[in-house]
Amino acid sequence: MFDLWSQSSAIRWQDFVDIALNSYILFRLYVLFRGTYVFRVITGIAFLWFFQRVAVSLGLIVTSWAMQGITAAAALIIVIVFRNEIRSVLQAKNLKAILWGVSFKLKPAPVETLVDAVFELARKRIGALIVIPAKEDPSDVAQGGIVLDGVVSRELILSVFWPDNPVHDGAAIIEGDRITQVGVILPLSSRTDLPSAYGTRHRAAAGLAESTDALVLVVSEESGKVVAARGNQVVIVPTRAELERQLNEHMGIGIQPVSYQRRRIFQLAAAGVISVLLITGVWFSFTRGWDTLISFEVPIEYMNRDPEKEILETSINNVALQLSGSGALIKSLRPDQVRVRLDLSQAVVGLNTFSITPDNIKLPPGVFLKDVYPQTVDVTLDIPKTVSLPVQVDWGGKLPEHLILVSAELEPDTLQVTGGSRLLDDISTIYTEKVMLDQIDRSGTLTVNPILSPASLKIAGNSNQKIFVRYTVKLRRP
Amino acid sequence: MNGVWFRYMMVLIALVLLIGSAPAGAQQPAVPAVSEHPDRLQLTDAVICEGVEEHIPINPAVVFSLNIGKVACYTFFDPVPISTHIFHNWYYRDRLSRRAKLSIRSPRWATISSIQLREADKGPWRVEITDAAGRVLKILRFSISD
Repeated sequence: MFDLWSQSSAIRWQDFVDIALNSYILFRLYVLFRGTYVFRVITGIAFLWFFQRVAVSLGLIVTSWAMQGITAAAALIIVIVFRNEIRSVLQAKNLKAILWGVSFKLKPAPVETLVDAVFELARKRIGALIVIPAKEDPSDVAQGGIVLDGVVSRELILSVFWPDNPVHDGAAIIEGDRITQVGVILPLSSRTDLPSAYGTRHRAAAGLAESTDALVLVVSEESGKVVAARGNQVVIVPTRAELERQLNEHMGIGIQPVSYQRRRIFQLAAAGVISVLLITGVWFSFTRGWDTLISFEVPIEYMNRDPEKEILETSINNVALQLSGSGALIKSLRPDQVRVRLDLSQAVVGLNTFSITPDNIKLPPGVFLKDVYPQTVDVTLDIPKTVSLPVQVDWGGKLPEHLILVSAELEPDTLQVTGGSRLLDDISTIYTEKVMLDQIDRSGTLTVNPILSPASLKIAGNSNQKIFVRYTVKLRRP
Repeated sequence: MNGVWFRYMMVLIALVLLIGSAPAGAQQPAVPAVSEHPDRLQLTDAVICEGVEEHIPINPAVVFSLNIGKVACYTFFDPVPISTHIFHNWYYRDRLSRRAKLSIRSPRWATISSIQLREADKGPWRVEITDAAGRVLKILRFSISD
């Protein structure tokens, strides 16, 4: 069982980068899409994913499968359904703004300018439709529109709604101190309780107010009255003071003013912290799962061997390590990341038995050792020497019945063989490869290879030494 | 004087004939050899063969078929300064298979040891002939085949 501390201590620098990078991506998504339907849908998908992970951890197979399918489908749907919104967000911002820009320029609409412009329009009986969004993005329900992105001024507002202006019939959207879009077509309300004097412009204002949390101002070109629509309320604004009050209330500018910039900074900081916490949680659940086990075959490396000694024999060459860790880490495990090393500095000539402990095993961070098999290894060390050993032919098969093989002379008849002293002490002859007798019907010669067993033995000098055999056969004495 | 000389010669001939016609069980040599070192045990002949008949090794060779049933190691010592014993150490590959302790007597002696062949005996063999002190006098190499 692993505790959290052992998990934390095994975090790699790559993991910090992983968390930081994804936290920043999440933070940027918030910055780009805050206040839009896309953001809310992404939040919903995040919850779906969270529940899917919970379902997996609880072993709810069908639920987790269904959640996974819905999450995947929702991710696809969001791209299709909100493609226009995503495009408008990305098109409205340059690369710098997308990657690291945080807009502090978004200031509250200049209320006084707005009030002046609205009542000037009313005085001149110029119809106008002005949308001042709150948290929700009106472009989710509105259509069309031309990007303007101009600083709000009395003159600009008047010119937008000037009757000869091609976009004067549409709505102007004011975000912060800028007119972002003009000529926007708003959804019409289907309410029946609206006064009959209200025309299309009023119905459009009511329709958007019902659908979003925006404040929509209407200037009637017939009556010159100013109407404000918010939520389900559509009210006449009789005075400049009332309009100013409504605008202040809508923008959150109260009697006790709060620094807009400080509030924005606080919101962004909170979003940043939440992004880091969320991604850290996701990272732990995703990469630190203890559910993946793998058996890994690793060759043993022998270190610090006395140069005068040679490894004559080992009971095993590989050990099987049972490792645990997250699926992602286990799948990406490379053979060179897992090593088993035995220190032979204290080993003596003869048999040495070593226990394979966690100290001998090097694992990458995040991967844990569950078991080792076998847990001991026998290593036989020897001091190499060279000796001269006689060579003997290993005859096989069957000689014809009427013949006897009376002699076999070998050239050379001895070989210089290098190997471990203890090993060579038990070897007195080097045998050749098997030489078959079946085809022999007269005296002759042949060339054969010596066989060195075990393979640790070497022929000193010429390793390709061949043995020349001159043999003599005679007729069997009846 | 001539009579004494004649008798002496007759006794000598009789002794030679007596030695030459020793019983089969006395393992006398087929071909006596003259020793250059009469005070030291000398191995003058050693072969692996299919058997010994009338002090003569039959079909000495270096390869023997399993079908013949047994193989023998024939050794002849001349001289044998004092009665002693020698060893025939039979090795299958490098594993000692049989250690035969054989007595030899002065002045010269031939002796044999043998092994019965089984299926598992196929392969290279050697016989180390050593004196009583374990000094290797000769190594004979042979194989057992099908």
